[in-house]
Amino acid sequence: MKRVVITGMGAVSPVGGTAAEQADALDAGRHGLRAMPEWAAYKGLRSLVAAPAELKNEKAIPRQNRRSMSRMSIFAAQAAQEALRDAGLAPEGLGDGRTGCVAGSTTGSAIALAQVYETMLPEKDFSILQSMQFFQCLSHTVAMNLAQFLGLRGVLLATNAACASSLQAIGAAFDLVRSGRQDAVFCGGAEEVHATVTGSFDMLMAASTRYNDRPEAASRPFDAARDGLVCGEGAGILVVEELERALARGARIRAEILGFHTCSGGSHISESNRDGIAACMRAALADARLEPAAIEYVGAHATATLQGDGEEAAAIRATFGGQVPVSSLKGNLGHTLGASGAIELAAILAGLERGHLYPTRNLETVAAECAGIRHVTALEPTSARTFLKNSFAFGGIHASLVCRRWTEGDPA
Amino acid sequence: MTREEIIAKTNAVFAESFEIEPERLKPEANVFLDLGLDSLDTVDLVVAIQKKFGVQIRDDERVRSIRTLGDVYDFIATIQQEKQG
Repeated sequence: MKRVVITGMGAVSPVGGTAAEQADALDAGRHGLRAMPEWAAYKGLRSLVAAPAELKNEKAIPRQNRRSMSRMSIFAAQAAQEALRDAGLAPEGLGDGRTGCVAGSTTGSAIALAQVYETMLPEKDFSILQSMQFFQCLSHTVAMNLAQFLGLRGVLLATNAACASSLQAIGAAFDLVRSGRQDAVFCGGAEEVHATVTGSFDMLMAASTRYNDRPEAASRPFDAARDGLVCGEGAGILVVEELERALARGARIRAEILGFHTCSGGSHISESNRDGIAACMRAALADARLEPAAIEYVGAHATATLQGDGEEAAAIRATFGGQVPVSSLKGNLGHTLGASGAIELAAILAGLERGHLYPTRNLETVAAECAGIRHVTALEPTSARTFLKNSFAFGGIHASLVCRRWTEGDPA
Repeated sequence: MTREEIIAKTNAVFAESFEIEPERLKPEANVFLDLGLDSLDTVDLVVAIQKKFGVQIRDDERVRSIRTLGDVYDFIATIQQEKQG
């Protein structure tokens, strides 16, 4: 098996248009949570909060590429451009067939889907639909747009697994590179805010509804007063690459991916369970050939739902005990769903490079069911390098990635 | 509708839908070779013209023979005359 490293990262986040801007915002404790009063027009939608990202400079993407991109694919393209620059790869070399793309989102563009239905269904008239709406509605719209935009000719896969989409993408990219099928892969995910997305979670009693007048407090992972998640948007894209190639071209290596696992909980379509989460984390550790004691930080999935946070806390407690620092970045970023794994991984890596762990924002009183693990509640200096990142999704899907920040002198 | 109005509304479609600069919108411009439209763009051109002019042209075979921007103006003028007639 070949060794796999992260050589580039990019993000469009609710708190910044680049991975570096996002890290600056997290350093300052800023958040991207906003009131969405216009959503009051939707009957039965009780959650009127979101974490939108800013759409800007989209005209810099040529129209021929941009025409098939919805908002989230534009975010993904911009994050990929940042990751490309960060990796120091030449754009003209990407069509070598050895560079692939794996990306996902919860669904096709929620905005385009809503537009199509709103346009077409009232009159049941297909003749008024535009061709580009079709490409924006496809489930693999982010992956295909990204690959065509970058001119990739390698493996193209879409990991559409709701909130586990981008961590699954990184895991799949890891497998493609370590098996030797690809030399490098652009991987991650994207998502867009829309009332229909938040409405889906609200319908399932999983979205925050009690903080519409205080959006800044609405996303509170592990907190006793949490009442559900706040949907966010953006994109996170990483360049993962085979170690020897990265070293040979003198790339600045950010981290090594040591292990990954994704699995089904096998018990319930929506409720996460501690045994399934623990099994996934243990399998990722086994893949990395590490004992739990080697993990110095856990980047939790923790979305601020009543059920999920307690189960993840219990699984972390059972696997790592109560000493390993744990935090969730969703108090700042909201839940960027299919993008969250990659966006949060980029944030964690930036934090480690800057020598600190980001806290769980809005965690004021640890809920009883979330106790017994060491919550990071303030920006904390660290020399931690080896960490585990979780992402889970409806449908009983778990994913865990184990990484180690690269430092000079690491055995190559 | 006058010829000038047809030209202005058609050019607006090309500017809005395909981001083509006004100075490139000349009657002799080939919509594929000079203005860069492809097969997918023609689908959206038809939809945009239908909306702009309130006509139904999706199943009109004459759409397939359009090559230049001038052909688009002529086609719309013909459609408008047929509607009035």
